Amino acid sequence: MFFVLFRGLQSLDLFRLTAIWEAFRVATASLRANKLRTALTLVGIIVGVTAVIAVVTIIKGLDQTVAQTFSSQGSTVFTISKNPQIIKSREEFIRSNRRKDVTHDDAEAIARLCTACWRVGVAANAIETVKYADQKAENVRIRGIDPITMFDIDGVSINVGRIWTESEGTSGREICVIGTDMLKNLFNDAPPDRAVGQEIRIDGRPYLILGVLEPLGSIFGFSRDNVVYIPYSTYQKAYGGRRSLVVFIQVNTAEQLEAAEDQVRTVMRNRRGHLNGDTDDEGFALETQDVFLNLYGSATSNIYIVTIGVAAISLVVGGIVVMNIMLVSVTERTKEIGIRKAIGARRKDILTQFLIEAVTVTAIGGAIGVGTGFGLAYIISALIGFPLLVSVASAVLGVGVSSVVGIVSGLWPAWRAAKLDPIEALRAE
Amino acid sequence: MSDTTLTLTPPESVVTPSTEVNGHSPKMLISMRNIWKTYQMGTESVHALHGVTFDIPRGEYIAIIGPSGSGKSTLMNLIGCLDTPSQGEYWLNGKNVSDMDDDELARIRNQEVGFVFQTFNLLARATALHNVELPLIYGGVGASQRHEMAKKALHAVDLTERMTHRPNELSGGQRQRVAIARALVNHPSILLADEPTGALDSHTSMEIMDLFERLHSEGNTIIVVTHEHDIAARAHRVISIRDGLIEKDERIR
Repeated sequence: MFFVLFRGLQSLDLFRLTAIWEAFRVATASLRANKLRTALTLVGIIVGVTAVIAVVTIIKGLDQTVAQTFSSQGSTVFTISKNPQIIKSREEFIRSNRRKDVTHDDAEAIARLCTACWRVGVAANAIETVKYADQKAENVRIRGIDPITMFDIDGVSINVGRIWTESEGTSGREICVIGTDMLKNLFNDAPPDRAVGQEIRIDGRPYLILGVLEPLGSIFGFSRDNVVYIPYSTYQKAYGGRRSLVVFIQVNTAEQLEAAEDQVRTVMRNRRGHLNGDTDDEGFALETQDVFLNLYGSATSNIYIVTIGVAAISLVVGGIVVMNIMLVSVTERTKEIGIRKAIGARRKDILTQFLIEAVTVTAIGGAIGVGTGFGLAYIISALIGFPLLVSVASAVLGVGVSSVVGIVSGLWPAWRAAKLDPIEALRAE
Repeated sequence: MSDTTLTLTPPESVVTPSTEVNGHSPKMLISMRNIWKTYQMGTESVHALHGVTFDIPRGEYIAIIGPSGSGKSTLMNLIGCLDTPSQGEYWLNGKNVSDMDDDELARIRNQEVGFVFQTFNLLARATALHNVELPLIYGGVGASQRHEMAKKALHAVDLTERMTHRPNELSGGQRQRVAIARALVNHPSILLADEPTGALDSHTSMEIMDLFERLHSEGNTIIVVTHEHDIAARAHRVISIRDGLIEKDERIR
């Protein structure tokens, strides 16, 4: 009995495969016969799948870059500043501009009073043109830091030469440590040891190069090596002490972060005189990397939503085009349907044939879309500079979704073909 | 001429009902009992057939003749199971096909009926071999057996050489022979030809009619629907249809 059942299933299977293979052959033959029409049919599907694949691949690459960048500092660093790094509204901008500057004294108070804090440093930035002999580097970030542990908080390390000593750091001398972009832009890509001991000029002042940093690479197309570090005392001499600075606080382990934040907040509230909360504003901004990561997360999720929207619209349009073409195809091939029915094709045979034809078109469109999507992502990743993460899952999803579009939009035309009256169909020309 | 013989129905597959039902004779391959076909044209009912009764035994070569509008085409569609009668009973090879649904009729057409059309009705994009294989594909025959059977059928109509040609590379007579091979490949009970020489010149027509004669001599049941008297004259029995009724039913040889 089981044997009979097994044989039954086997022959049924064989028949389905035969019929599906026949349908596939007919489908590809008719697609080949109408190349231009097939190409036009594919456009909508290709655009939709390309959009999804490109955006998913690009964002995956960015995600990895962001994750790597921020894990180099870890989630153990937070900052105190006058203006938040990311200003979300005009009100916030106006309010933060009315605040008192964050000063070196604030940093010292934090370092003295915060027991959960590990390292405390200050940093201030200026954008300048840097010159060496007849070479010029523009838009260089001049970063004045104090003390030298700020190098560790920033997650940078020395490659060649040395950093300044504690006493040099407070002396106000014109000394500096340069990022690798300076080698490229000022020293014609000379080896780092050739730059050490040379003097560069920033805003007319000569600075002695003590060392060259390890390269960090770039994020979102912005180089992180286009930087010159100078002692904060020197920075103050050149740019004045009135500019607000940023206090960086690092804790030893991530578990201590909350305790350190609480202590620092208390210290700063005391210093700003808002202990009793008599105004809405604390008078300073305490930020962790979460601020940036949250912004990044919401930006990428917005991009995802827009992309899904674009993809959905083009897949719907593509589906309608496929349906339209399939209806034309059914009309054109009424005679063929009649012949097939006369010699024994059942409704489901005809239905399968046209469904497979629709799915073949859209799956081919999906496959092309996957290819162009990865191609687009490759070009963009090469231009901006982030890793290309090709995901098999998104490729399968791209082809899968477009096949579903094929089934949905092929169903009605296929059903119309399937229920044609054989006598009427045979009479067609 | 090929010496391959094609026997359409192997003896062991003949189904003979044990008792006679409603005056239907179990000995007959085709048994039509008081067949009516009515079409609704707007508010009017048009009777294409009104009460047609006849039997066809296995192995007969029969012509159905009548002018256009006589109901001849309607009768052919019913015999070929492309349609069902409005009233009456039609038994084909022991099966009552009068009230079968679309898919059951498709099975019957696949297994019991081999069609030959005036305009050949081959698939233009398929080779001769693939055209002949088509009924076997819908019959669920596996690939290797299918090729074998299709080649044999093409051999039987002397087209072995032209197997891989498409219809547009074949002459009218060759196309009709491909169609005949397709009709015979599944060993149907009847070969049903609708004006089979209507699109052919007189010389080729004679060749096709000779082929029918040979197929008949090999034991096939052949029904030719035509309005040409000299084509009908090749059959052994002629049924004349006029105004939806059998006018004459005579044995001519």
